[in-house]
Amino acid sequence: MNLGNIFSISLIYATIRSATPIIYAALCAAITQQADILNIGTEGIMLTGAFAAVAVSYMSGSWLLGIAVAMLAGLVMAGIMAIGHIRYKAEICAIGMGINLFALAITKFMLNVIFDKSGTFSDPAISPIPRIHIPFLSEVPVLKELLEDWAITEWFVIVLILLLTFVLYKTRWGLRLRAVGQFPLAAQTAGINVNKMKYQAILISGLIGGLAGAHLSLGYSQMFTENMTSNRGFMGVAAMYFGGAHPVLTAVGCLVFGFADSIGARLQAYGMPSQFVLLMPYVVTIIILSISMVSKKMAEKKKKSSLIAIHAK
Amino acid sequence: MTGTMKNIRKILLTMLLALVVGSVFILAIGENPLAAYSALFRGAFSSKRAFGTTLASFTPLLLTSTAFAVAAKGGAFNVGVEGEVFLGGITAAYIGIHWTFLPKPLLLIACFLGAAVVGAVWALIPGFLKAVYNVNEVCVTILMNSVALYITSYLVSGPMSAGLANAQSDPVQVTLPNFLKPSNANAGLFIAIILVVLIMIMLNKTTIGYKIRTVGSNPLHAEYAGTNPKKVFIGTMMLSGAIGGIAGCIEVLGVYGYFLNNFAYNLGTNGMLASLIVKNNIAFAPFMAFFLAVLKSGAMGMQQNTGVPKSIIDTITAVFIIIATMELLFQFAKKQKKKTAKKKQEA
Repeated sequence: MNLGNIFSISLIYATIRSATPIIYAALCAAITQQADILNIGTEGIMLTGAFAAVAVSYMSGSWLLGIAVAMLAGLVMAGIMAIGHIRYKAEICAIGMGINLFALAITKFMLNVIFDKSGTFSDPAISPIPRIHIPFLSEVPVLKELLEDWAITEWFVIVLILLLTFVLYKTRWGLRLRAVGQFPLAAQTAGINVNKMKYQAILISGLIGGLAGAHLSLGYSQMFTENMTSNRGFMGVAAMYFGGAHPVLTAVGCLVFGFADSIGARLQAYGMPSQFVLLMPYVVTIIILSISMVSKKMAEKKKKSSLIAIHAK
Repeated sequence: MTGTMKNIRKILLTMLLALVVGSVFILAIGENPLAAYSALFRGAFSSKRAFGTTLASFTPLLLTSTAFAVAAKGGAFNVGVEGEVFLGGITAAYIGIHWTFLPKPLLLIACFLGAAVVGAVWALIPGFLKAVYNVNEVCVTILMNSVALYITSYLVSGPMSAGLANAQSDPVQVTLPNFLKPSNANAGLFIAIILVVLIMIMLNKTTIGYKIRTVGSNPLHAEYAGTNPKKVFIGTMMLSGAIGGIAGCIEVLGVYGYFLNNFAYNLGTNGMLASLIVKNNIAFAPFMAFFLAVLKSGAMGMQQNTGVPKSIIDTITAVFIIIATMELLFQFAKKQKKKTAKKKQEA
């Protein structure tokens, strides 16, 4: 086995490429987590977005319109979840799973009815998200492999990470949202409309989730497959836990998953059974999720014991 | 109105609303919803074979819905039942093929025990992680479902493969007797019913059951009263996993006679649906599991006899669950009471 073939420069882009859809999903989960809402429905929001993007891009020939409608579809799904959870007090895990199952069923149904297909829909008429070609880079050896031909949404995810970090930690709205998440009663006393903030967080997360789906079906690939998100939404939720809902740290967690995924894809060439390659990202996700929660618990314990020490004095 | 009556009314109203939403979808594609629903009903009941198929699809759902409900009673959201069904199935297949030194009745028991143990151990992982380190069990169990699927898929296409075009194992040496032939209905149905009744009794009449329910509803109180909530939580998850494993064993020994790759697809999910719709009420879950089994087995008939694709059924059940989770929907009485109270105040 030649390690040079596995760990080459192109592995970096491969990692980023397979991490990007998960980063979008994780950001979708992170923004609601800041308001203390666990967005289990990420998967479903994303899947609906993926379908809407492909359908609209195929019919209109415009990827931009596809993304817009995908975000709108995500907004609708998130809206159902928001109303169910906030207005009608649905348990968030239950309604989130409901949204996921609904998304799975409705996209399958629409695929049957609109395109008369089952399983996969791909067509050259689907207009993909364009890739950015930077002319002078093709002369530079290393950067060429690193930065050539990224999809627009792959660049945009960096903007989104920074934007969300700024909004959450540097604006009044972000402060209020985090206050709602950490201590809703205090937030309410301070005159913040808690439910309104929660609605806003879920709806924005719907927009991001829709974008996540659009990137998956138009940027990462150029087709729609039943259940094409294949648990990326849940990996996003796991990464969100890893990063403590901070956009930058969350994205770092996603890169680890992306790394595991692309290493696995390369190992397959060396006779590793495909099932092991396929299950690797899931196992890595579970392990990382566990490690991050264990270390969080240890940190809490440390804090507690130091408090006791102070009291003892 | 008593609580039970209220629950039943709510479930019926939810069912009706879900069917109405389904009709809207069917109308939207230019078909007649009444014709579709009657074709569905005929598909599930019209012949001996159809009814047998309904019963055969009811059996695993009965167990998976109970597995989910048991976990929920202990405060866990166990989405991992599907993975437990897969692993229980592969264990039963392995024992059923290789342990032929045992006499048949013992072999049968060994299959069930093995499946239950493997299911329980698989559920121990998320149970432990949640109880001790507060790792979200929904995430872990869902991801572990994929892991279980790929492990079994590797086994039946590699080491345990029968060498056929389909990824499947060799036939097992012991099977459950069938009835209502040529359908797949089998004696597993009765095993499942007995098991569910036993679990209901355990939950409602024994100390262990009481502990599980206390931990689920108020872990702090449980701890105060001298129960170790972590231990009980992990135990509940393992019980739930064992039930899932047994469901897999029944499918392998009763329906297929060998392990078929991806056979448990959606069995866990639909069980979860059935349980969630009735708010994890163990006494109601079987009825909902039966309703879902009717929908599933009738769906094929509907697709063949009308132009409605069977994926509409998944859509209807998903709508069903979304509506059912909304606690405050259909609470007319309360609203009216509030209104009258307000009026009184104003007066």
